[in-house]
Amino acid sequence: MTSTTETSKPSFIQRWRSLHSREARLAWYLILPTALIVFGVVIFPAIFSVWISFREVGLSNLNDVFNAPFVGLENFQKVFNDFAFKFQGMQSWGAAVTSIIYSFLATTLTVLIGLIAALLLNRPFRARGITRAIFLFPYVAPIVSVAFVWKWILDPRPSGVVNDVLISLGIIDLPIAPLATRGLALVIVIIFEAWRYFPFAMLMILARLQAIDRTMYEAAEVDGANTWQKFRNITLPELRYVLGAIFLLRLMWTFNKFDDIFLLTGGGFGTKVLPVLTYEFSFKLFDFGRGAATAMILLLILVIFMALYIGIVMRNVEEE
Amino acid sequence: MSASYTSTVEKRSFIDHMAGWINWSRFLFAIGLFFFLTSILFPFYWMVSSSFKTTAEIGAREPVYIPSALNMEAYKELFDPNHPSYQDFGGNIINSMFVAIPTALIAVILATLGAYAIARLRFRGKNIMLNSILMIYLFPGVLLIIPLFAMIAQIGDRLGFQVQDNLPVLIFTYLAQTLPVALYMLTNYFRTIPSEIEQAGLIDGCSRFEVIWRITLPLAIPALVSVGIYTFMIAWNEFLYALVFLNDHNLFTMPIKINTIYNDPSPRPHVVMAASTIMTIPIVILFLSLERFLEEGLTAGGVKG
Repeated sequence: MTSTTETSKPSFIQRWRSLHSREARLAWYLILPTALIVFGVVIFPAIFSVWISFREVGLSNLNDVFNAPFVGLENFQKVFNDFAFKFQGMQSWGAAVTSIIYSFLATTLTVLIGLIAALLLNRPFRARGITRAIFLFPYVAPIVSVAFVWKWILDPRPSGVVNDVLISLGIIDLPIAPLATRGLALVIVIIFEAWRYFPFAMLMILARLQAIDRTMYEAAEVDGANTWQKFRNITLPELRYVLGAIFLLRLMWTFNKFDDIFLLTGGGFGTKVLPVLTYEFSFKLFDFGRGAATAMILLLILVIFMALYIGIVMRNVEEE
Repeated sequence: MSASYTSTVEKRSFIDHMAGWINWSRFLFAIGLFFFLTSILFPFYWMVSSSFKTTAEIGAREPVYIPSALNMEAYKELFDPNHPSYQDFGGNIINSMFVAIPTALIAVILATLGAYAIARLRFRGKNIMLNSILMIYLFPGVLLIIPLFAMIAQIGDRLGFQVQDNLPVLIFTYLAQTLPVALYMLTNYFRTIPSEIEQAGLIDGCSRFEVIWRITLPLAIPALVSVGIYTFMIAWNEFLYALVFLNDHNLFTMPIKINTIYNDPSPRPHVVMAASTIMTIPIVILFLSLERFLEEGLTAGGVKG
C-alpha cells in the first residue's frame, strides 16, 4: 500500500490533502476514547434523564427501565405540588426559591471576600507566598473534612466553640444550635460557601490585578487621586469582566452543589435546595421519575444562567 | 559617650520608623490579614487538635482549646483491631486509593491523547467537541446520577455484574467528572509548547507517535503531574456518587466512612476529626509541595465546584 502511493508520485496538493486527512484520522483515534467515555457517561445520561422525567421509574422497574410507563407531565406536577418544592410564604420558601436566593447570596459573598483577599495579597509583604498558599487551604481541603469541622465548631453541646465564645461574650445565655435553626442555618451555609470558595475568586482576581498597567496608577497619583479614587476609577473598571465571569461561573456551580448543604444540614431547617431535593426524591423515596423531573427544573434554571453567561460574559471577553 | 549617642539616634529613628510605618492603610491591611488567617486556620487547628482529645475532653462542660496530651484514643478506634468499636479505617484508605489512583492515571492518559489532538491536529468538528466537553463542566452531578444508575444497572444486568458496591464502576463514573477538566488543562498546556519543535522532529523523520513520545510528552511532564494530582484530588474527595453507589461498609471510601461515623448514634467528634485529619493531610501536603504548578491549574478551574 505505502509503496504504491510512494511510486505513483501524486501532485503536491494531493499529498498535502492526504497528509491532512491522515492527520484528521489520527486526531479522531486520539480523541475517541475520551469522547466515548464523555458521551457514554455524560451526554447520553443527560438525554436519558429527560426521558426518565416523563416515566414512572421506581426501584421495582429499575432493571427494566426502558419499558417504564409513560406518565406525561405527572412527575413535574408532583414536584410542583410538593411542599418541599413550592413557595408557601416567608416561613417556608420551598426548594426552588431557597436555591435561587442561596446561590445568589453565597456567590455575591464569595466574590466579595475573594476581592478583598486579592487586594490584600496584591501588595508586597514578607511571607506573601506562604500566606497565599494558606488562603487556598479551604478550597483544596476535602469537603467532608471541612464540613464536619464546621459542624463540630458550631456544635450545640457545651463543648462547641461558637457557643462557648458567644456565651462568654454575653451575646447569648443558653447554647444554640445554629445549623438546626430555621433562617440561621441558611445564613451559616452561605457563610460556609464563601469561606470555602473565596480562594477561587481570589486567584482569578489576583491574576487580573497583576496585569493592570502600573502607569495608570502613577498617572492618577500625579493627578492627586487617593486610594479609594484609584480603586474606584482604575481597579474596579479593569476587574469588571473578570468579576462578572467569576460571578456567573460560581453561581452555576453553587446552584449545582449537593455535598455542602447535604453534609452541613442534610437539607433541613430551611436549607433544602434543588440538588438535595433531587437526591431525596430519587434515593430516599426511590421515585426516580420525580427525581429526574426535579433535576430537569434545576437544569432549566441553570440553562437560563448559562445563556446569560455566554451572552454577556463571553462576548465581553472576546471584545476585550 | 559615643555609644549612648548612637543608641538615642537609633531609638529616635525606630520611633520615627514606627510612626511612619503605621498608617490607616497598613492598619487595615494588618487587621484584614489577621482576620483571614484566623478564620482559615482555626478550623484546621480545631480539626487536628480535636483528633488528639480524649472522650472526656470532647464531652467536657466547655471546649478544651489545647488537648492535655497527644492522646491517640481516636486513632486507636480507627486503626487498632482490639478497640471495642474498631472502624477499620485502613481499609477505607485503601478503597479511596484504589479508586483515586486509577482514575488519575486513566484520566491523564486519555486526556493527553485527546488534548494533543485538539491542540495540534486539524480536524472537522474540533471546536464543537471541545465546547461540548467544556459544557459538561457546568452540568449538575446530581442530574446525571439517576440516569447513570439506571443505565449501569441495565448494562450490569446484561453483562452480569453488580452496579452497587463495585469500585471499578465508581472509577468509570469519576472519569466522566475528571476527563473534561484534564482535557481542558492539557489542551491549554500543549498550545504553549511551540509546534516548531515538533515540526523539526517530523522533518528529521520521526512519526507522529515518536514526536509525541520523545518530544512533546517530556516537555509536558509538569502539566501531566499537576493534572494527575487534580484528578486524584477530585476522586479522593468525591462524595455524592460514592454515597449512592456504595452500600457495603467494607467498600466505603473515606468520605462515606467519615459521614457514617459522624451519623453514628453515639457521637464521637474526636474520631470524626481524626479521620478527617488523615484524609486532609495528604491533600494539603500534595498541594503545598506542588503549589506553583497547581495554582495555574486552579485558575483554569482545575477543581470543579
